[in-house]
Amino acid sequence: MIPSQYQPRLPLDRLILKRGAAGAGDSMELDVLFVGAGPAGLAGAIELARLARADPGLGELSIGVLEKAEALGEHSLSGAVVNPVALRALFPDLPETELPLRGRVEREAVYLLTSTGSVRLPTPPTMKNHGNFVASICEIVRWLGSQAEALGVNIFTGYPGAALLTDGDRVAGVRTAPTGLGRDGQPLPTYSAPNDITARVTALSEGTRGLLSQAWLEWQRVSSANPQIFALGVKEIWETKRPVDRVIHTLGWPLPSDAFGGSFCYPLTPNLVALGIVVGLDYRNAALDVHVLLQRLKGHPLFRVLLEGGEMVEWGAKTIPEGGYYALPQRRSGDGVVILGDAAGFVDVPSLKGIHYAMQSGIYAARAIVAALRAGDTSAAALAQYDHLVDDSSIARDLYRTRNMRLAFKDGFTTGGFRAGLMTLTGGRFPGGRIAMHADADAARHAGADGDFTPDGKLTFSKVDGVFKSGNTTRDTIPTHLVTGVEVPAEVARFYSHVCPAGVYEEVDGKLRINAPNCIDCKATDVLGPRWTPREGGSGPRYKRM
Amino acid sequence: MKIAVCIKRVADSETRVKIAADGKSLDEAGVKFIINPYDEFAVEEALRRKEQAGTGEVVVIACGSGAAQETIRTALAMGADRGVLLETSAIPVDGFTVARALAAELKDGGYDLILFGKMAIDDYNHQVGPMTAELLGLPCVTCVAHLELAQGKGTAEREVEGGMEEVEFPLPAVLTVDKGLNEPRYPALKGIMAAKKKPLEVKPATLGAPGLEVLAMTPPPERKEGRIVGEGASAIPALLKLLREEAKVL
Amino acid sequence: MSHVLAILEQRDGSLRKVSHEVVTGARRLADGLAGEVHALVCAAGPVSGVDAAGRHGADKVITATSAAFAQYAPEGFARAIVERAQAGSYGAVVCAASAQGKDLAPRLAARLGVPLAADITDLTVDGGTVVVTRPVYAGKALLKVKVTADPVVVSLRPNVFTPVERPKAGAAETIAASGDGGRVVVKGIKAAAAGALDVAEAPIVVSGGRGLKEPANFKLLEELAQAFGGRAAVGASRAVVDAGWRPHGDQVGQTGKTVSPSLYIAVGISGAIQHLAGMRTAKVIVAINKDKDAPIFKVADYGVVGDLFEIVPALTSEVRRLTS
Repeated sequence: MIPSQYQPRLPLDRLILKRGAAGAGDSMELDVLFVGAGPAGLAGAIELARLARADPGLGELSIGVLEKAEALGEHSLSGAVVNPVALRALFPDLPETELPLRGRVEREAVYLLTSTGSVRLPTPPTMKNHGNFVASICEIVRWLGSQAEALGVNIFTGYPGAALLTDGDRVAGVRTAPTGLGRDGQPLPTYSAPNDITARVTALSEGTRGLLSQAWLEWQRVSSANPQIFALGVKEIWETKRPVDRVIHTLGWPLPSDAFGGSFCYPLTPNLVALGIVVGLDYRNAALDVHVLLQRLKGHPLFRVLLEGGEMVEWGAKTIPEGGYYALPQRRSGDGVVILGDAAGFVDVPSLKGIHYAMQSGIYAARAIVAALRAGDTSAAALAQYDHLVDDSSIARDLYRTRNMRLAFKDGFTTGGFRAGLMTLTGGRFPGGRIAMHADADAARHAGADGDFTPDGKLTFSKVDGVFKSGNTTRDTIPTHLVTGVEVPAEVARFYSHVCPAGVYEEVDGKLRINAPNCIDCKATDVLGPRWTPREGGSGPRYKRM
Repeated sequence: MKIAVCIKRVADSETRVKIAADGKSLDEAGVKFIINPYDEFAVEEALRRKEQAGTGEVVVIACGSGAAQETIRTALAMGADRGVLLETSAIPVDGFTVARALAAELKDGGYDLILFGKMAIDDYNHQVGPMTAELLGLPCVTCVAHLELAQGKGTAEREVEGGMEEVEFPLPAVLTVDKGLNEPRYPALKGIMAAKKKPLEVKPATLGAPGLEVLAMTPPPERKEGRIVGEGASAIPALLKLLREEAKVL
Repeated sequence: MSHVLAILEQRDGSLRKVSHEVVTGARRLADGLAGEVHALVCAAGPVSGVDAAGRHGADKVITATSAAFAQYAPEGFARAIVERAQAGSYGAVVCAASAQGKDLAPRLAARLGVPLAADITDLTVDGGTVVVTRPVYAGKALLKVKVTADPVVVSLRPNVFTPVERPKAGAAETIAASGDGGRVVVKGIKAAAAGALDVAEAPIVVSGGRGLKEPANFKLLEELAQAFGGRAAVGASRAVVDAGWRPHGDQVGQTGKTVSPSLYIAVGISGAIQHLAGMRTAKVIVAINKDKDAPIFKVADYGVVGDLFEIVPALTSEVRRLTS
């Protein structure tokens, strides 16, 4: 079974609208609009507000940031061990203690797991975290948001960007999603029409598998050497009885050998631990279920001793762009538009880092935008300066150095591990050239057994329990926001039910059933199956310390 | 119409309650704070009444920590005209002290209507509104779920056991409002931008000595372990016997 | 030694049941303070059932009458009660945290110039000091609070202070309340529509989940609810509401309604945390499910494992036999 055969196309007719198209309620004009209040968008807005202040010629810029979550940070999820370089660059005068970081990484360990045992491995050079910090991306985002607001940036939480407004080939702004639609898609008494926000520059900082970024790339036919590929991470936060004193990564069990990924365990405080598992979405067994793998992982002696007697306090999931250098769009800028952070694919898989690249890309975008505004020219040619800045930066350099490392694992973990080792030794020169990659949806799946899994409600949890712990309180009567293929056979429906960590999809009597309110916007099935579109603002998870 | 709305910043009801190290309060780490949901109905009602009247002012007043400015901004983004924060490091458990601070602020305001949510979802105190009314000597109707105002008089409906109580009252008055009165609006984009520029006055709250003292905060008792009565329909007689004789619910 | 004033409730001239709980709570307080319980009810005339207050521990039962007291009169009641409380130098005033008590108690406290410990679920007196327990954060925590005020004013959460027989004299006294009913005038009570009980209010809730297999099978639960004779409502899990089998208003759980009936019967519901969040405060939980590992059995007081299509009809006929 090949997932792409059942995957609908992106509904471009709904995503690319002519400026002034019918259907909007209110409208508003800004100088610069960021779509998505994550580290990329907020760092960009902060840098932009500062540069504008320092430049009397520009005057006061009106800067807005749209965010689909009800409050800042509630849709942000990451491991995370953070390289503080971008935070330091953005806030050079602040002492480290005031940055939104938890503890400095003092000790770390990498293990290869079997179902009952573990072997400690030397930490691969790319994974060394000396000088980095454990952090919660939710906390980073909330903090960056307050910094941005203090600089006069307008943050509009609860407003998802739903379509690009265009003038010819130019991006002129964004239309937000309506609120108050009933299950049948008809307006309820609480209906509120979409808003049109026009801007001289629109910065797409939507995060992983960004909807408008995808739409723009497809609309403008901007390609990349390799298709972007993704992994799905499922993460829990635990209050533990036993303190955890080190950053832990594991490889091997419970992942099958033909899947790429591993687990992480980071102490935010000694008794508040982030634990998760990440699996590349090019795995082969159609019954593989990342949520279930995380539940199994917790039963491993290495983790069981840490978690037993503790309490799972938060659950969430998110995809990660893993394609690296060769999956970057040929350009991340166009007429009136730039694409930042995860939406552009600025993630370095071998070091498991993306947050500082996201922030740096925001900073470069702000510089390019200021230059463009100053010149009164926000055309593709002017904004190409953003691509130049990124291409000359450590973002491009780091991603180039590890350009084939993730790709080496496409044939499984054993050969992959060997090839990746050689790449590290040769500084990325082995094996030369580019390893070609399929899109995840083009990787064929074979049928697999569903396996036995009964959550015990203490150490292990069902998907519905997870969704509850994500804080998801989406209105139950929203229309479905997931676009499925016309005919979905039972086998494919079952596949979706395993792909989705939130129990959105079920196979019932051979048919696909969709529990749309469960969706926590991880975008996994957007990669492999049904397409994701935005819902009314404030829907989805409410992450606090993810 | 000049309308005051008294609001409170509270921990979200989704919050998982963890008791702080002092054993007397909520551990605020990782807790999301929101405008008390019942107060949102009050803000919405005030805005609608002002809009209907075509003229007037909606003033939002909160008693709480500096962080409550954010809560006031939420109400300003919905459309309120200005805000007042009576700042105090911690909101006392004794609602009467809060009522006194609010009454002092409201006393000479010349308000036609003073609105509260019927209760705060954190302390379930259910009292600051009517206490404030008593201190101001104003008529008060609590838990208003339906409201009509005309010519200096009002008619309200409030839920009581087994029905809706119909109440008449003169203006000016203090009302505490219930869910169902209206559907609060989401702040509009322009409202969010405008809220940044609206006046928000911060002054220290004058709170008297409280008459209530928290000794301890504890988790509720856990449910005791249940048991499987049996399998299939044959377990029914045993089940009913237990419900009648042990649980005493039938 | 100080006496306790217990504020009773009547509707249409009949004492409301919650008044027994108020007297019981007041008695506990009075025992601790070594005083008497004086029960006070505001009414237009004699109140039927008021003599029961003596049985539950009232030394004296006072009816404060006024023509304006045919309906609840917030300001008139408050004035009459405060006058009496001050005249009798009571050490404590006890109300119910009912709809009326929630409106009245804060007015009394404010007029007396003292705090109100509202909606309490427990009280103790230790050496003259009153300590109460009250749930906060939607019952997710309990607060133990010392009340240092004179008089102590508390309101009791309904259905918690189970009435206890403590026969006392219950000497009847009638006083005429001065003044009118006040500016806030209750015109009457529109009774709720007869028939279907709301799941949030019903003393018994029978809820169904995906285990019922199809919408038509909810008939089994409706029959069971009917067998309880108008005391039961039918609820539903989020899964079946999402599937469109049942209206959203019937949904029990985090995004639906929070219920605390005395009996909750979960049929074919696996028991996701989001459902448990909506019903775990029920007094007694019964679970019927074919999967013995279903999480619902971890919170249920009584579980029956097996085919619900066999068990529910058997339960219905047994309940019918019992209630007929």
